[in-house]
Amino acid sequence: MLDLLVIGAGLSGLTTALAAAEAGLTVRIVAKGLGALHWSAGTIDVLGYLPGAPFAVEEPFAAIAQLPERHPYRILGAERVAASLRRFQTLIAQAGLDYTGAPDLARNQLLPSAVGAMRPIFLAPAAQQHGDTQASAPMLIVGVAGLRDFYPELVAENLAKQGIHARAAFVPWESVADQRDRNNMQLAIGLDDPAQRRKLAQALKGLMRPGERIGMPAILGMADHAAVMAELEAATGATLFEVPTLPPSVPGARLHAALRNALRARAVRLESNMEAIGFGVDEGPQGAHVAWVETATSARPLRHQARAYVLATGGVLGGGFTSDPTGRFWERIFDLPLTVPQDRRAWFRPAFLDTAGQPVFHGGVAVDDHLQPLDGAGSRVFANLWAVGGALADADPIMERSMEGIAIATGMVAAAHVAASLRTRAATVAAA
Amino acid sequence: MASNTIEASAFPIAWESVDHSLDECIKCNICTMYCPVSAVTDLFAGPKYSGPQADRFRASDQPHSPDHGVDYCSGCRVCNDVCPTGVKIAEINARARAQIVQDRGMPLRNRLLGRNELMGKAGQYTPRIANFALHNPLSRVLAEKLVGIARKAPLPRWSLTGSFGQWMQRTRTRRLRSDKKVVYFHGCATMYYEPFIGKAAVAVLEHNGFEVIVPPQNCCGLPMLSNGEFKAAAGYHRSNVARLAGFARAGLPVVGTSTSCTLTLKEEAPELLDMHDAGSTALKQGTWDIFEFLADLDARGELRTDFRTLPLNLPYHAPCQQRAHRVGKPALQILSQVPGITLHESHARCCGIAGTYGYKVEKYQIGMDVGEELFQFVREHAAGTEFTACDTETCRWQLEHATGIASRHPIEILAAAYGLYNLETRELT
Repeated sequence: MLDLLVIGAGLSGLTTALAAAEAGLTVRIVAKGLGALHWSAGTIDVLGYLPGAPFAVEEPFAAIAQLPERHPYRILGAERVAASLRRFQTLIAQAGLDYTGAPDLARNQLLPSAVGAMRPIFLAPAAQQHGDTQASAPMLIVGVAGLRDFYPELVAENLAKQGIHARAAFVPWESVADQRDRNNMQLAIGLDDPAQRRKLAQALKGLMRPGERIGMPAILGMADHAAVMAELEAATGATLFEVPTLPPSVPGARLHAALRNALRARAVRLESNMEAIGFGVDEGPQGAHVAWVETATSARPLRHQARAYVLATGGVLGGGFTSDPTGRFWERIFDLPLTVPQDRRAWFRPAFLDTAGQPVFHGGVAVDDHLQPLDGAGSRVFANLWAVGGALADADPIMERSMEGIAIATGMVAAAHVAASLRTRAATVAAA
Repeated sequence: MASNTIEASAFPIAWESVDHSLDECIKCNICTMYCPVSAVTDLFAGPKYSGPQADRFRASDQPHSPDHGVDYCSGCRVCNDVCPTGVKIAEINARARAQIVQDRGMPLRNRLLGRNELMGKAGQYTPRIANFALHNPLSRVLAEKLVGIARKAPLPRWSLTGSFGQWMQRTRTRRLRSDKKVVYFHGCATMYYEPFIGKAAVAVLEHNGFEVIVPPQNCCGLPMLSNGEFKAAAGYHRSNVARLAGFARAGLPVVGTSTSCTLTLKEEAPELLDMHDAGSTALKQGTWDIFEFLADLDARGELRTDFRTLPLNLPYHAPCQQRAHRVGKPALQILSQVPGITLHESHARCCGIAGTYGYKVEKYQIGMDVGEELFQFVREHAAGTEFTACDTETCRWQLEHATGIASRHPIEILAAAYGLYNLETRELT
């Protein structure tokens, strides 16, 4: 039997599975689709904004104490959050992707977004690093004429409004692709071809002024990303950085691919298009256990049995929760109680961009100190079920800019709890 | 109005249906990132544009589809596989194609490709003549020029030793009788071109103590479905339901070796054709792909594991139709128990042939370009490799055509592992 079934293939699910496999557990991931990482900028945001505060957080770990009491970071404690992120940085480097942060690994950096806003980011792909808005070198934001998901003038103009020297320019479409209708991912794969990137290097050379660093849409290579960056820098003699685009997001896809490859190397199967639709319960002496989870197939449900289960299906955005027109809001698989207001008139505050966030995004699955879901009365629902990532209550990952940090920290810690719990169970069985 | 007093049942929309699944599309474009067809050609704009996006402009009373490019969708379903919100993109595209066919008719070529069963029957009594007529270079050139069937595409050859049905008839007195019974769905390719696949399946099932019943049956209708000929496909499906649903109702598993046929009986036909009658549903729920069935036996500890050592270096590709079953890769699970086999799992998206797609002259090269990542994978493991393995017939033909390495159904490998089958000659031992 499997040790662990992870439901969900976003960052929290992949991280949980990787950490559990590292701890020696046999793991399988089932997911409805390929996961929300493909929508993400590929950065690791830990804590960018505190609820109601107008300014960005400078030191995320130090700011954790100011979060609500049952926020996932408060449950874990700042020390474990920081340790999880350092461990993630090592694991992802081993998987072939370099992620870097501020030199002291305690502060956020401010990197430009696809609209030229400054995003408080804790760890970023090495390729985004030189976009640091606190550095003084002027920026040349280069777009590709005809690319629909990146607008360099918008980026440069908004950066300039914030006091950063930035101007925009375009390279012709032909410098990145021969075919017309290409999306970001296809362009990135195209630039893995050395002939194509020589064309791009040639086009870039004509645009630069001395001393400028070049910001490009994040399409600079897929499998050969590091080589593409190095070659373009060598050919142009300029410092280069990527700015995330609208989805599809290549940095998110690179992170997904690196984690997926790391999981394959550890014999963890990632089954996408397997939507969890049901579960069974065993009543044991230690309380109710999840006995199995079923996924939809072309005919009849397929049953997966494991010793432990991790719910990593996300919240409203990831698809872990759903609602009906009456205002009822529920967790899709185990029907866990949610702290989301069950009256839709209470979902939103009057102001859309209220700095306190919206109640509907703040609610979720309430968990105990071991990240195990609780019922309305505060008792564990199932002895062998854990919850991680966007599903957790008392956080608003979008408003806080904490999505990846919560996913990684809760994933790492839940995997450790699962491993410890299975060891205890094995020891109990052996003693009996 | 107090919103929280509205009953959910006031909204009877079936959100899981093909038509309504497009409302789940959040335009994230993950499908376009992974679409193997739009990656190699500008002729297909990608799943999001041709599927949920264009579908907003299609109505049943509207004579023309806004997007002819949808015909370049190969139907591989990689989009469905990666979609995080469950949009049935490939099915939306299949229906759009059917609407185009309804409006404007279809070329003779697509009619021919949809009539796999008829072609099989036509050639079976004079297979040498039929093979010569179909496979000589002149007729291939003519077929390309006159009908539009790509001259290089890997068409099958009629069996020279008779059909699978004839073999069952010939060997009926030697077949196992048992209380444990399964119904075998052979599909057209096994019936007329590759009877050895059926023989291997019968041998494996009998080895595990099952009596194999092969009732009369039709083409599953998939070639017609994928060419937009829904009406004729519905006729085939109705006929299969009439002939097979009784067995399913009686609790007999209907097991098939052609993973595209079993997918059609389970899901494609009822879903695309909106056939949700009791018989179709019984057949859907009673149908198993053969390795799905064997893995279920294995999970209950009922699969025989008296395997011989089979020293094989075996690259395995789970074809699109197998992955669309959403049952994992049970063939890997079973074959990994055979001593001596070194399995290499392909993560390539599609071989490119996609049923009848790669046979069309305007799509042949697209299919070959789509398949390149799979061919590359096979070439990387070519040293010491006698065979590749793959569950769908057309994919095996495409793999052999592109790599020059012989390809086998995993059931042939398993039959050989039981000592019942010769992988070289494809004969029972």
